[in-house]
Amino acid sequence: MNFGFSEDQLALAATVRDVLRTHCPPGSLRTERRPAWEQLAALGFFGLLLPEETDGLGLGLVDVLPALEETGRACLPGPVVETAVVAPGLLAEVPKLAAGAVCVGVLPPGQAYAADADLADLLVVVRDGRARVVPRQDVRLAPRRGVDPCRPLFEVAFSRSEPLAGPVAPVLARATVATAAQLVGVARELLAVTVGYARVRTQFGAPIGSFQAVKHQLADVAVAVEFAAPLVYRAALTVDAGSAERDASAAKAAAGEAATLAARVALQVHGAIGYTEELDLRFWLARAWSLSAAYGTTAAHRERLRTAITGRRP
Amino acid sequence: MDLDYSTAELAFRAEVRDWLGGHAPPPLPPMDTADGFAAHRAWEAELAGARLSVVSWPEEYGGRGASLIDWLIFEEEYWAAGCPARVTQNGIFLLGPSLLRHGTPEQREHWLPRMARGDDVWAQAWSEPEAGSDLAALTSRAEPCEGGWRLYGHKTWSSRAAFATHGFGLFRTSGARHRGLTYFMFPMTDVAVRPIAQLDGLPGFAELRFDGVFTPESMVLGEVGQGWRIAMATTSSERGLTLRSPGRFLATADRLVELAGDADPVLADRAARCRVEAEAYQLHTFGTARRIMAGEEIGSAASLGKIFWSELDLRMHALALELLGDRAEDWLDGFLFSLAGPIYAGTNEIQRSIVAERVLGLPR
Repeated sequence: MNFGFSEDQLALAATVRDVLRTHCPPGSLRTERRPAWEQLAALGFFGLLLPEETDGLGLGLVDVLPALEETGRACLPGPVVETAVVAPGLLAEVPKLAAGAVCVGVLPPGQAYAADADLADLLVVVRDGRARVVPRQDVRLAPRRGVDPCRPLFEVAFSRSEPLAGPVAPVLARATVATAAQLVGVARELLAVTVGYARVRTQFGAPIGSFQAVKHQLADVAVAVEFAAPLVYRAALTVDAGSAERDASAAKAAAGEAATLAARVALQVHGAIGYTEELDLRFWLARAWSLSAAYGTTAAHRERLRTAITGRRP
Repeated sequence: MDLDYSTAELAFRAEVRDWLGGHAPPPLPPMDTADGFAAHRAWEAELAGARLSVVSWPEEYGGRGASLIDWLIFEEEYWAAGCPARVTQNGIFLLGPSLLRHGTPEQREHWLPRMARGDDVWAQAWSEPEAGSDLAALTSRAEPCEGGWRLYGHKTWSSRAAFATHGFGLFRTSGARHRGLTYFMFPMTDVAVRPIAQLDGLPGFAELRFDGVFTPESMVLGEVGQGWRIAMATTSSERGLTLRSPGRFLATADRLVELAGDADPVLADRAARCRVEAEAYQLHTFGTARRIMAGEEIGSAASLGKIFWSELDLRMHALALELLGDRAEDWLDGFLFSLAGPIYAGTNEIQRSIVAERVLGLPR
């Protein structure tokens, strides 16, 4: 029993964090569609989960979890989970995947729109428990208005597609856990930024962070994040075990709720300035909401948990 | 990172499960009655006979020198077997760790084995009428005398004091707010005790009056003036690991899920959520245990856990009452106890302020 990250796992996260600090600063979210991707690719980020035979590092999901959390902290745009986590599970044979030269999008089951499909060289569509892959030239995209400016949504139509071999459920469970890790990162960043603002913003002659009503809201966010994270870590460990789907649902629901609470409190503490496009905060608010709905809404995961735990069918 | 138990850990779990399977008592009368108090002491003496009353303590004091992970395993099995809350908990979870860390060799050798067997049952005497959450405001005092100290003053809401043999708490030995406090143990013999009934009508609390109660020099814990520091280390462990192990909440969540089997989807959803939250607390505790075993101090971060488990416990019991309807009596004792969680060991308002100021760094 050793429930904590190793130094290697944390070092990888620290490296990714440094790259994102330099190449994906908040300002880049307004001007670039895919900041820091080249630098992450150069680092080998997109090959971490690929087997060594296809030039990857052959790591497990738990090894990259803290690094995925960092992509959430930085609000990194682009189909990160799709390219770094889904593609190694379904498209490992595609050339140059490890080099980060191929960008992958996913239309998960039960979801109407594919996020970031405009960037995808290959689009994976999952329907009726089976995955198909569609090359870019065969996809027609219709943009849908979404809340997250850095995670645009598209309605997808396609003419030709190739079926993919192998079970898709384990790959979707990994993507769900990876998204939950990003949500934990989003929540941590929202909390940190809001604490920073509450320390410097003064009203009634005192920093608003000295008021108990503000303190207690932020403490509740800290509690929510603190107890969502271990569920995400467990899900990464059990992703190949019999309880994978249940644990992934527990992770995604808890992380989504922690992030939406963090967003709610961040907005309340920032007040009217937080309710503007001008403040960078809007990107993280949007990411908390958009990722909460990705790979199954919180409600869908709660329903799965109810069935798994109480045995009661919907 | 892994969640795999070692062969030794699995063997320990099996041993504990076997033993409890043959020895777990039927429901005992409430510990805050004379009969119940005696029955609980007898049960804990039996537990001590199997060296299972304080598994993480060193062997010389009646434990097994078990790791924190083993202790968590023990707790899971203990609560899953339906065993009762510990009448010795103030001693083994609050005073014991302080004695292990700050006590003299003589104090440890004398008091710890007795505590482990339930020979002595300790009442905690922290709060005073004007010093509950603001503990440093307490005014009870100690004056030096021949061979020891004389205690004066008034303590209240003292758990277990109606039947306990000994007590421990802070008394003022000088004027300084924090530095003026000293940690004393004392026999209950000469303390004037007025039992205070709790919401269940039983004397779970008592008011204590000290009118020059003598306690020998040998019952001062740590140095004079260091009481605050020692007590804070104790309350940190009270809020964190030692008092509320995850096993208890996991067992409660399992009973709740069973209750919710045929409930409507909204209530069943809430039950499933409670089960997951108990797991979150269990997993978080594994992480905390790992850090403590690696020599880290948990400190103020323990307040995060205290908020989480106390509110989870209350939510589980409130949901049980909803599910039970007119059979709510079955869970009523647990519900009343869960209501105390957000109050004792420092109210949750205090905990939130600690988190905000000392964990998040917000201004005072």
